[in-house]
Amino acid sequence: VAVGDAVPWQVVDHYENPRNVGSLDRNAKNVGTGLVGAPACGDVMKLQVEVDENGRIVDARFKTFGCGSAIASSSLATEWVKGKTVDEALKIKNTDIAKELCLPPVKLHCSMLAEDAIKAALADYKLKQDPNKEESEKKA
Amino acid sequence: FCPGCRALQPPVPRPDLFRLMDCDRSFRIDAQQLQRRFRSLQRAVHPDRFGRRPPKEQYYSEQHSSLINKAYQTLLNPLSRGLYLLELKGIEPAQETDCDADSVFLTEIMEINEKLAEPKNEDILEEIETVIKVKQEELTKEVTAAFERDDLQEAKKLLAKMKYFANLEDKLKSKKIPS
Repeated sequence: VAVGDAVPWQVVDHYENPRNVGSLDRNAKNVGTGLVGAPACGDVMKLQVEVDENGRIVDARFKTFGCGSAIASSSLATEWVKGKTVDEALKIKNTDIAKELCLPPVKLHCSMLAEDAIKAALADYKLKQDPNKEESEKKA
Repeated sequence: FCPGCRALQPPVPRPDLFRLMDCDRSFRIDAQQLQRRFRSLQRAVHPDRFGRRPPKEQYYSEQHSSLINKAYQTLLNPLSRGLYLLELKGIEPAQETDCDADSVFLTEIMEINEKLAEPKNEDILEEIETVIKVKQEELTKEVTAAFERDDLQEAKKLLAKMKYFANLEDKLKSKKIPS
């Protein structure tokens, strides 16, 4: 955090009281894991979702190594995906995250990283549910 | 310096840092030559030598000195040197999120970060430091080779990887500083 730049209190809140830090069992069939990185700043973000038999996300965890805005974005993302269906969660946009956290322009890429992490986790979950895809990959 | 009256002139706008430090515009540099050039330039323009000169020259001296510091730091460090070289060649630094294709690499970065985050003793920190150093040296070699065969896209990818390790290096340094 640069000296002199006001950090939005929302970011500080997520940084000091992060929600849902941790891991889920990545080998569980109903757990999707997204692992993404931002090459420009070197931040890494892991986001995991646990989905029930009705396609609804019942739990989410994250681990992020990077700036406060990246941590806050992923923390907020785990809060938002809980209770949503997979398709609803796919609709979460980085602009919504950035707005909620009052991210300054220079930190908008952090919210984009969180959106990408959600999508990666859900894509991983979907892949695990679809045996057909595994079949075609075996043939390839 | 003005050839006529020997007064210090302002630095040129948007200077080429390689030219300023008298280095070839390439990734391979002679670190000792760079350091010698840095010192000799600072001897000529450092604000300490301009205490009795007119305010305008004092101001230019600060600008020159600061620019020379920036040039030296940029060219000395392989990551910043590589990124600067890409910039000069018109290549934008990597902006897109890394994901699927790089999951092995990202997993490795994640694991080192997690190890670093745990409370640690000195020995383990040393181990992690060695791992990071080795990786950085490997990547620097690969970047050198990429630039040499003018494979700028590969250089860009490798420099992105170096950024992750640079962050780890910074985190480790701050862990070593007793609080």
